[in-house]
Amino acid sequence: MAAAVAGGVGPVVAEAAAPGAGAETKAEVGAGAETKAEVGAETKAEVGAEAELEAEVVPPPLPGLQLVQQGAEACVFRGRFLGREAVAKLRVPKRYRHPALEERLSRRRTAQEARALLRCRRAGIPAPAVYFVDHVTNCIYLEDIAGAVAVQDHIESVQRRGGDAGSLLPLSKKLGALLARLHDEDLIHGDLTTANVLLRPPVEKLDLVLIDFGLSFVSGLAEDKGVDLYVLEKAFLSVHAGVETVFETLLKTYAATSKKSGPVIKKLDEVRLRGRKRSMVG
Amino acid sequence: MAAVTQPLELCPPRAATLLLFRGVRNAGALRRRAAEGALPAALVSPAVVDPFQVLVAANKAVHLHAMGKMKTRTLYTEIIFNLSPNNNISDALKKFGISDSDTAVLIVLIVDTEKPVNLEEITSQVEGQQVSLDELPQLTDIEKVKKVTQRNNYSIFLVKKRNVRHC
Repeated sequence: MAAAVAGGVGPVVAEAAAPGAGAETKAEVGAGAETKAEVGAETKAEVGAEAELEAEVVPPPLPGLQLVQQGAEACVFRGRFLGREAVAKLRVPKRYRHPALEERLSRRRTAQEARALLRCRRAGIPAPAVYFVDHVTNCIYLEDIAGAVAVQDHIESVQRRGGDAGSLLPLSKKLGALLARLHDEDLIHGDLTTANVLLRPPVEKLDLVLIDFGLSFVSGLAEDKGVDLYVLEKAFLSVHAGVETVFETLLKTYAATSKKSGPVIKKLDEVRLRGRKRSMVG
Repeated sequence: MAAVTQPLELCPPRAATLLLFRGVRNAGALRRRAAEGALPAALVSPAVVDPFQVLVAANKAVHLHAMGKMKTRTLYTEIIFNLSPNNNISDALKKFGISDSDTAVLIVLIVDTEKPVNLEEITSQVEGQQVSLDELPQLTDIEKVKKVTQRNNYSIFLVKKRNVRHC
């Protein structure tokens, strides 16, 4: 089910992100988006080493190492680092790329991700803490959010238990406010899906944490923020059924919380009109 | 007598040994000795909140040292520098390194897990009482932490910003 979902989200995300992305990253966005949805699933269960490691990936030398998820962009491991449970995100080398480009790109992506995580920290936006960045292996060692549940899984379980959209409203308000703060810091997540937002236990507290900043960048443009929200909207509506009001509330809270939301919402409307299978014939 | 030694997984076979002292009377002398190189350890002031913070700084220092890319002159000053959220070396050493008036000191040694280490050499020089690392929260100077991290609800992980330096 996760694969089908990722497939559904993938092309749409690539489409939406295209306006902002450069030529070289377009291919990446498609592949990256797909796996980001999967990476969130790491929190579902301790899957251990069920996924096979690619031949060329050297796992980080941490005791108690466990492969949590292998995506197209990176492998995510869990292990003990300096006496704590930590997550190690190792970028997978892509052999089809020219080696010089590969090295530069991996390094840049790793650094960008780490930088985004640190900006969040400094701004008080909940994201995993960065413990160490190894630029040689392009591996980031991060805080492990113990027992966290992806918002995607949470919504699914609420719906399975028969909860209605109303019970999800507090969550959407919190998320809207969080994204407002993120965008006010001019930080674009780049891959907003419900699998990339975690809930710290206990779930009732609605303590949200953003993860997976692999595609993030800094921008003050309303266009980029609008696209960020559009990506989330698409992911939201395609993965979960009957949650339109939930997303509406999210946007309303976003607009109310963010100081610069006016142009962003306007751009969001514009982007919506641009999407796939939309006729731009006036 | 609880000195904690944590192996540095990413830089084997190195490990960091942490010792905590309270009621220290000769902080000034210790600081001078460390600066001269007579005391091969990092002397950390009570501006730290958790030993983990120090381990992360040590891990990065050892890593850079192994690659020959440290920003300061010695491994031990590098550890202290890594504790600071900003890029100014002398400022970091002043705030996170001990000052003459400090009565609590956290000592960090970098050792090899394979070689035996004589802690007596270090502990005998300190005029103070060695205590367990669990007492660190009591000895933390909260005002100092607020000042050095410029935050009111301090998070020890703010200092991890340092780890993003491009090597």
